[in-house]
Amino acid sequence: MNISDQSQSHETLRSEVKQWLNVNWSPAFKNDKPSWFRKVVDAGFAVPTWSKKWFGRELDQETAKIISDEFSRIGAPGSAQDNKHLGAITVYHSGSEQLKSDLLYSMLTGGSACLLYSEPGAGSDLAGLRTKAVVDGDDYVINGQKIWTSAATIATYGMLLARTDWDAPKHKGLSFFILPMKQDGIDIRPIHQINGDSTFNEVFITDARLPAKYVVGELNEGWKVLSQALEHERLVMSQGLTEKKKSRGKDSAQELIALAGRSNNIRDPLVRQRVAQTIAYRQIHRLNMARVKTETSRPNKASLLAIAKLSMSRVQHSEGTLRANILGASGLLDGDLFPDSKDAHYYAAGGYVNSIGGGTDQIQRNIIAERVLGLPRELEVDRSIPFKDVKTGAKRV
Amino acid sequence: MSMISADECSAIVDTFGRLLTDFHGEPELRKAMASDEGYDKRLWREMGALGLTALLIDPAYGGIGGGAVELGLLMEEAGAYLLCSPFIASSVIAASFVSHSSDENAKQRLLPLIAAGSIATVAITGDAGLWTAESVEVLAEEVDGKTTLSGTASYVLHSTNSEILLVLATGENGVGLYEVNPLDDGIDNSRLAVNDPTLCVGRITFDEVQANEIFGFGAAELNESMDIARIALAAESAGGARKIFDITIDYIANRYQFGRPIGGFQALKHMAADLLIEVENSKSVARNAAEAYADDTTGAAAAISLASFYSTDSFFEVAAKAIQMHGGIAFTMEYVAHLYWRRSRTNLHLFGTSDFYREQYLQALEESV
Repeated sequence: MNISDQSQSHETLRSEVKQWLNVNWSPAFKNDKPSWFRKVVDAGFAVPTWSKKWFGRELDQETAKIISDEFSRIGAPGSAQDNKHLGAITVYHSGSEQLKSDLLYSMLTGGSACLLYSEPGAGSDLAGLRTKAVVDGDDYVINGQKIWTSAATIATYGMLLARTDWDAPKHKGLSFFILPMKQDGIDIRPIHQINGDSTFNEVFITDARLPAKYVVGELNEGWKVLSQALEHERLVMSQGLTEKKKSRGKDSAQELIALAGRSNNIRDPLVRQRVAQTIAYRQIHRLNMARVKTETSRPNKASLLAIAKLSMSRVQHSEGTLRANILGASGLLDGDLFPDSKDAHYYAAGGYVNSIGGGTDQIQRNIIAERVLGLPRELEVDRSIPFKDVKTGAKRV
Repeated sequence: MSMISADECSAIVDTFGRLLTDFHGEPELRKAMASDEGYDKRLWREMGALGLTALLIDPAYGGIGGGAVELGLLMEEAGAYLLCSPFIASSVIAASFVSHSSDENAKQRLLPLIAAGSIATVAITGDAGLWTAESVEVLAEEVDGKTTLSGTASYVLHSTNSEILLVLATGENGVGLYEVNPLDDGIDNSRLAVNDPTLCVGRITFDEVQANEIFGFGAAELNESMDIARIALAAESAGGARKIFDITIDYIANRYQFGRPIGGFQALKHMAADLLIEVENSKSVARNAAEAYADDTTGAAAAISLASFYSTDSFFEVAAKAIQMHGGIAFTMEYVAHLYWRRSRTNLHLFGTSDFYREQYLQALEESV
């Protein structure tokens, strides 16, 4: 297809989406999301990059973006789930045909999914997790505790990583399941976070059940499925989607300049240096993400994608630090009477969501060094011994 | 505007890469930097023969009509090899200064010579080294219809190699561009002792030196012409950062201590991961600046300032850490790492400091509201 054909077909698609939204969308659907989501899925707008067999249109990312752009322009939900719905993405990429037909439609029409990976004793060392799945007839029975689960209370499904073989080495005894969340035996408690939000939860699982056919991929091959799922998650995080909307916008630079103006130190040369440097970090992050699209070599693309989440940590932490820096003494204040101060604290603490969540910056550096730069792997003393003999958590003598 | 297609461009870049591999490896580089002239003469002739010295010049004046994007890609290669040559002085700065003037005679006379590889340079800044119209310290005086120049210009790239000597001087109507005979008796032209052996700069004093004005060149043209030099330097920095990074990763992957490669230790792996961000960032800002200049977008001024501080800062960060990551070997003159480190420190200051460009960047953003 040459360029003019392509832009022609882009315009055709854009007007199709516009017209469809014109006819179908009404803000009233905000109170009836399931009906709206069904329409979106049936029209092929929910997951346009997927195969036609599974509700898609087989479009490339760039073309698919036309659809999500038109949706977000009028504030209609439900598009670009092939970029955002980690549960559906995982089932689509790693699940059997049977599992897809059991779950995908339900997931895409409002059945959101939460992540049940981390445990209090298994954070960076995720493969050391101890939540147990045991076969009982046609079901698995699940027992254990998960943590750092966002949107747990509204989720229909949980993406669960649990141990199914305690005699195998740590990575080889894990399985990936879809756990129905609305059942007895699942107790959700919010975590009080240092940024004041409670977006994450602890999930206590006691004799909860899931159908045996809800295993994603092969039994005891859960680590492979997880690795794919994590890659998608890091991609989502690297786009800054864990941030408040206003800091993501094109105007975060102007917002910082305005803050320095309100604080009467925009003429201070030292402040100006810091503002410029901090703005540069976010702008360059954008340029890197834009370059992913134009780089033709695979290793070049992979390199850019691998550094994205780590580089986003610097963006967010330096903005948090800068805000406090600009405020000076009024950075001591907090609360609704001092909105600039309140924001500064919120951003300063919020940076940790990106730099710890989804794999700490330190784990991320190991991954970059090993997978992109080809440096030797970390020594893993527990890699090839049966998991039941591995020490985990805090063990003081 | 570039007149070169994408295919032609990658052919030129490949050719240049091969030329540098064949003619400008570390032994040739060390020979060039130790020579009296301070550049690789054989390489320079080859670059001329291949038309690389004609890159930015319009075909009407014997050039090949390339633009900022092609220049940036070439400079990434140049940075990787620590190119020791008058390329920026002559093919970039002098070529774009003359091209930005509106003096048809000067263009017809000078540009074909520069395109063919005559070494030209422009004496721009005074001892302050600021590369702006205000920092010009040469005065142009007109007596009886004849113009003479007096004063001092410093940090003049390849001043002692120049066959064509252009001078920025302040006259009655502000700053202007002049041509002088480099062999004029009123000129005292001496090479400055510098820390980076791949750098060749001199200081020139002018004492009532006869000059011809090149018309249609003022402060605005100065800034536009310098922008292309800034883009070249940013791209060179990006290429240098990438190369010394690759050298370092290769070294730590193959250097064994404690019975294993030192690159297996987290202390070094984590430094390496952080530096990869700098390597990619410098490439992104340099390419973005070149594209913004070529497309003449409204954000071009901000993009060039951003590249001017970020790519040079990154190059320095990578080159400085590279020495530390190597350990003792890189503290020796025989090992190549210090040459990248020296070049990175050159680039931090050559066309103005990072602090200066951070300020320019913020001003450009403030003006864009």
